[in-house]
Amino acid sequence: MPVYRYILRRLALTIPLLFGITLMAFVISHAVPADPVTANLGQKAMSDPEIVAAFRAEWGLDKPLPQQYLIYLGNLLQGDLGRSIKSRRPVLEDLRAFLPATLELATASILFGAILGLILGLASALWRNSWLDHGVRVVSLFGVSMPVFWLALLALFFFYARLGWAVGPGRLDVGLEPPPAVTGLLTVDAFLARDWVVLRNALAHLVLPALVLGAYTTGLITRVTRSAMLEVLSQDYIRTARAKGLPTRTTLTRHALRNALIPVVTVIGFSYGNLLAGTVLIENIFAWPGIGQYAYRASTSLDFPAIMGVSMVIALIFIVTNLVVDVLYFVLDPRLRAS
Amino acid sequence: MSSPSLALPQDAEPVLRPQPSTWTVLGRFLRGKPLATLGVILFTAWVLISLLAPVLAPYAPLEQDIANRLQGPSEQHWFGTDQLGRDVFSRVLYGGRLSLPAGVMVVIVAGIIGTGVGALAGFIGGWFDELTMRATEVFLAFPTIILAMAVAAALGPSLINAIVAMVVVWWPNYARVVRSLVLGVKSQEFVEAARALGVPHGRILWRTVLPNCLAPAVVLATIDLGNAILVFAGLSFLGLGPEPSTPEWGRMVADGIAYFDQWWMAAFPGLAIFTVVIAFNFLGDGIRDALDPRLRK
Repeated sequence: MPVYRYILRRLALTIPLLFGITLMAFVISHAVPADPVTANLGQKAMSDPEIVAAFRAEWGLDKPLPQQYLIYLGNLLQGDLGRSIKSRRPVLEDLRAFLPATLELATASILFGAILGLILGLASALWRNSWLDHGVRVVSLFGVSMPVFWLALLALFFFYARLGWAVGPGRLDVGLEPPPAVTGLLTVDAFLARDWVVLRNALAHLVLPALVLGAYTTGLITRVTRSAMLEVLSQDYIRTARAKGLPTRTTLTRHALRNALIPVVTVIGFSYGNLLAGTVLIENIFAWPGIGQYAYRASTSLDFPAIMGVSMVIALIFIVTNLVVDVLYFVLDPRLRAS
Repeated sequence: MSSPSLALPQDAEPVLRPQPSTWTVLGRFLRGKPLATLGVILFTAWVLISLLAPVLAPYAPLEQDIANRLQGPSEQHWFGTDQLGRDVFSRVLYGGRLSLPAGVMVVIVAGIIGTGVGALAGFIGGWFDELTMRATEVFLAFPTIILAMAVAAALGPSLINAIVAMVVVWWPNYARVVRSLVLGVKSQEFVEAARALGVPHGRILWRTVLPNCLAPAVVLATIDLGNAILVFAGLSFLGLGPEPSTPEWGRMVADGIAYFDQWWMAAFPGLAIFTVVIAFNFLGDGIRDALDPRLRK
């Protein structure tokens, strides 16, 4: 099957999923015990029956549920995710302002997690049952067992407050002028502006939160890499490769690693969505102005439209990354193309 | 299928080996697995601590002592005191009484719902299977903590609602696992035999198929417990769990953020979460190793 046909098929399968997600968001937001009118309108507006009626009409709250869902869908398609109770701005605008910081953090985390996880996992599998293997296994279990918000506090306490090795919370030092916004990712924008001082500072601020956020993912990727590699190494074709006298290095890279990478790529793909979600638990601690902090504030003040907006966006990114991973797979694995 | 020479002679006494006791089985499982052993010890310790918290705790978990607020660890207060002068050590001990049962509840309820839905989907097949699987995909499209957060926020923050929210998020995993197990068992010969004997469908599912799927599902649930406790702590940290004054670990860590220099306020409850979760992960790792013959030494 040619790649474009595969992509089209996967896209077609994504459409019902998207509908499902909107339906779920609709059901959750209509299961709110609080009246969406009181949730969305201020106290003052509530006392004006005309405004209430207009709001009901706008969101179609006076119509039967299936019709309401269609209206909700229509609003979504126009990018209308409602208005945040807290910021009083459209949720979409808020998300646009906060998303880049989170994307930058999650991307740094996945890079760190994937590189370190692959190295540790491979080393662990190759020197199986050595002290290195045992050490890596324990450390990777530590990684998947630590509450990320606790790790964040500990890391800030030790590496910033006590040892002074890391820079403080936030994306840049106070007083440093951020580069002109192009992508919203400070590192990329600083690079584009050739502003090396800001670039170094932005990277320094990125290190600690990215390491903390990526701890779970690193543990996970290490574990998956290790077990995938062990499984592949026990296969007949590896024995064949060794038997026909291939150098160990070639056997490992060309035969073993390529096959072991398949499950690893899947985990990396779905970890990205989890990293985006995980920011909810740490951005507040690192004063990182992303959707995680936005969602944290929204959840503690029960700003419902904002919470739904964040969940929908993260679910969307989650679906897209999975789609990309599946396509990558298809390109990597000749067996899939043949069938 | 079986050759006649393998059949028991008519007069042979069946040799019954004594059923090994639970302890023997546990001992055999733990042999040569120091991490799994440590997991069992940690878990047992936490169960005992939770049960005996009222006896072990030197102070009542809600007892305030404003004069001694924000005190560091000392002889009187091993883990220090919080912003209201409550004893952190006592609150950490009491925290287990919430987190452990909450995690167990989530896994059990989600396990039952998921097993029911998954078994029916796998057994009935056809459009019902298709529909359920698409539904689970929608649930799984949301990262766990985000969906749980949305549901918990919609229901309103409380202990019960946090558990309900987690069940909503948790069951699809079990549904998918049990479905695939049922599909595997369904095509086995003993199920075919039951069908041929005219056993009704419901009875086949309940008496023949399900019992053969339960062991893996229970193993999954055990491994899953640590994760459930971790997410519960996360919800609680976000303020979507039990009410603020409750001695709950995630909540206590959240309280500690505002008192950064009083590190003990967040450090000890977090350590509690960590030790409980790692106990389950050590245990789960041992189980996985035992189940996977390829990984045996």
